[in-house]
Amino acid sequence: MLNYILRRVVMMIPMLLVISFISFVIIQLPPGDFLNTMQAVQGASGGGMTNEQAELLRKQYGLDEPMLVQYVKWMSGFPRGDFGYSFEWNSSVWDLIDERIGYTILLGFCSLLVMFVLAIPIGIYSATHQYSIGDTILSALAFLGLSIPGFLLALIWVYIGAIVLGLDVLGDQSKEFLNQPWSAAKAWDYFLHLWPPAIILGLASTAQLMRIMRNGMLESMTEQYITTARAKGLKERTVINRYAVRAAINPVISVMAMEVPKIISSSILIGVVMSIPTTGPTFLSALRSQDMYVAGTLLMVMSAMLLVANLIADLVLGWIDPRIVYT
Amino acid sequence: MAKRVSLTLITLVLVAAFVFPSLPRVSAQDGDGWGEAPMLAEKVAAGELPPVEERLPDNPRVVDPVDSVGVYGGIWNRAWRGVNDFHAFGRIIYDPVLRWPRDPADPVQPGLAERWEWNEDGTELTLYFRAGLKWSDGVPFTVDDVLFWWEAIENDENITAAVHTEWQTLEELVKVDDSTLTLRFSQPNGLAEAVGLAFHGNQWPLGFERFGFYAPKHYLEQYHPAYNEEATYDLFQEKVFDYNVERPVMTAWKITQYDPGATLMIAERNPYYWAVDVEGKQLPYIDYVYFHLVEDVAGVNAMGIAGELDMQARSIDLAQYPVYIDNSESNDYHMLLWPQATASNATLFINQSYPDAKYRELFQNFDFRRALSLAIDRDAVNEIVFLGQGAARTETVVPASPYYQPELEALNAEYDTAAAEALLDELGLTRGSDGFRTFPDGSELLIVMESTGLLAGEMDTYELVTEWWNAIGVKTELVQETREIFWDRAGANEIMVATWATDRGLVPMVDPIYQFPFDERSWMGPAYGVWYKSGGELGEEPPAHLKAAMDLYDEYKITNDPERQVEIGKEIVKLSTEGLWAMGTVGLVPNPVVVKDNFMNVGEEHTADWIIMTPGTLDPAHFYFADGGE
Repeated sequence: MLNYILRRVVMMIPMLLVISFISFVIIQLPPGDFLNTMQAVQGASGGGMTNEQAELLRKQYGLDEPMLVQYVKWMSGFPRGDFGYSFEWNSSVWDLIDERIGYTILLGFCSLLVMFVLAIPIGIYSATHQYSIGDTILSALAFLGLSIPGFLLALIWVYIGAIVLGLDVLGDQSKEFLNQPWSAAKAWDYFLHLWPPAIILGLASTAQLMRIMRNGMLESMTEQYITTARAKGLKERTVINRYAVRAAINPVISVMAMEVPKIISSSILIGVVMSIPTTGPTFLSALRSQDMYVAGTLLMVMSAMLLVANLIADLVLGWIDPRIVYT
Repeated sequence: MAKRVSLTLITLVLVAAFVFPSLPRVSAQDGDGWGEAPMLAEKVAAGELPPVEERLPDNPRVVDPVDSVGVYGGIWNRAWRGVNDFHAFGRIIYDPVLRWPRDPADPVQPGLAERWEWNEDGTELTLYFRAGLKWSDGVPFTVDDVLFWWEAIENDENITAAVHTEWQTLEELVKVDDSTLTLRFSQPNGLAEAVGLAFHGNQWPLGFERFGFYAPKHYLEQYHPAYNEEATYDLFQEKVFDYNVERPVMTAWKITQYDPGATLMIAERNPYYWAVDVEGKQLPYIDYVYFHLVEDVAGVNAMGIAGELDMQARSIDLAQYPVYIDNSESNDYHMLLWPQATASNATLFINQSYPDAKYRELFQNFDFRRALSLAIDRDAVNEIVFLGQGAARTETVVPASPYYQPELEALNAEYDTAAAEALLDELGLTRGSDGFRTFPDGSELLIVMESTGLLAGEMDTYELVTEWWNAIGVKTELVQETREIFWDRAGANEIMVATWATDRGLVPMVDPIYQFPFDERSWMGPAYGVWYKSGGELGEEPPAHLKAAMDLYDEYKITNDPERQVEIGKEIVKLSTEGLWAMGTVGLVPNPVVVKDNFMNVGEEHTADWIIMTPGTLDPAHFYFADGGE
């Protein structure tokens, strides 16, 4: 088992290197660089850097070197934990994103929790009450959730929360707690700000998971071992929970791992809309301003999160399904 | 209830406005009369700070209130959109050597320098800085800080590519004493006051603008390779940057909490700030400024509508104005509409230096440009695109500008397609079988307009214009592209018709890129602009009608007499507007400002422009909360 995990982790390293190269190339594909963009942005807000000044800075930042040289310079810093320099923020990339990565992981975990807590009971209910009014309503809601993009939900929530209810919905905490030491009230406020984005992020996938759970349940409930269990005189609750659910939950777990990239990508827009300190807004602004080391590092981090999430999903599957054995 | 409170406030403000200006100014300069914020008084009592009279200079700047004398305290909440958005901070800390006046018709005003003198022929300028100025860490500010900027920054090729235009004739800086500096020029310098000391006269580098006139020598010399062998330029760039919390400043607030990527940036009052109100109380009134990181413009506006921004003009969206008004009463704020010094919010630049000879000749023909202008229904643009809030006009400076000439306002801007078609017919551009006009020799005429569509209303306007130009038979295509592609192409003289919003309509002579081909950003003729900027070395020699404006500006640069400068400026504006060198559509679209009802001293009459660092000339240091922010 330990061997297996180790092997998977070691395998990730060449994978990430390949990813880092591809992402670097992709980020460099659009014409122009950080300084052109900066000139245009400044031009739009009134100012303007001369071409000579831009050229000087380009040389200083090493942006005039061939792409491969830039890549090797960037990559060779990884072992030291040096992920390059953010031109825009005038700071090392890691300092810029470390706290945001933490918050992103926390938010991702919460939204997985939301999915799990919502999808499985509803899926079970829908399957055991197939074609009832409850099933129809929940299925309709599920399709609604599936078809409304997360950022729209976020916008609706910002509007309802901020303008109709008059709540402080943006950011990760309310204004009055900013720059205050931690207290119970602040922690509660932090918690209250965490859930709306987590639910919005989770909702789209919840619908899908709910349907998968429902189908899995419907399928497993026609299996012979269920009939046998019933024939033994087991209570219906036991039949469902001990036999049907355990068989139906496998695809849900696999799909959940596949939902991680979706969470990551939709967290970008939701992060921007709700101004929460995830990596999303930083990633977007880095792409827009061609702050390439930031964008590249974040792409790497997202890929790494995906690889780790897959590993965890495989391990969880092995843990709940005795038929799966890793060696 | 809220109404009664605001009525009381208004009454108080009015009373204050009548009473305070009549107070004798001398009392403000009375040594015993200095006041200070409670938070600083506490520190003085605890022995952490010297008393206020030792912190202030001998002759502090006295800020005349816009409305009333204020009270200390409070946190000013603002939204900013990330490190690129430096001006969210930079414009509320406007403290250059000389200041733009609050009323644009006035001459420049004293700032860090209390007075200045020219010699007879305008080649020598002596600056008298206020004696006893101190940096935010308590170290005296001296002429050495200016010399440091000149030697270690402006003239270090590793930091500044080329000395700024206004200082290119500066031959010598002579330190007379710690607070007196003489600048000697090789010829009279007409740009020193307005451009060098008011527009560029701040602490270097002002975010990404990278201009300034002074820098804290005592702090920076340890990081500069010319002063410390172990230092590197990378380190220097990091330490000199405005977000560095260790760096001493001369401004009302100083950034004290900044972490790359963090969602909150805090600026705290500078205990050594060198300005007072008319009662002698040290400014600023407000203790802290909080900058909430909100990447999305919609997010900034959600905050504003929810009443979470105490005062902000930046990123406030005119399209949301009705929603702002709907919620203003329940969320205790009101809105101001400042006209922007935008000559035109969607401007067309017909490139007179376009490489293709046939097009170039056509674009240089005034009648052709006039025909295109007459085909634009500007009132329709105003109604459809700008909610009727702008003004249909030609491209010329705004009414608040000293260079404004009312007779130019609507020149060549009437809507008359028949006249437009007649002009085109006269030029021999006859319609072909497909209904589109061709060159007189029968070859195809196709105009490509390029835009970034960055700003509100731009793209919609250009689409309408494209339609109208096609309607008079001039085949036009509109291309939208990203800003970096556009910026490079436009500067490289590759675009036929470039588009942009033309701001700096108030004091355009400090950077006259939209008046005539000044440099590569003057898209009415970038190749000619490069020629002018490089003194004829690069680019292409412009035709006589453009050279006339360049000659006038050459004269402007060496004219010290402000009145004569205004005359020359007016002539340049006249040439440019009459010649339709840039084509305006709708300008003066207002900038909405959200102001909480308890946030005082924000002037209602103000023309917003980046050159004068709006709202910098309104003295944000004397903005205050009516209740002290309780």
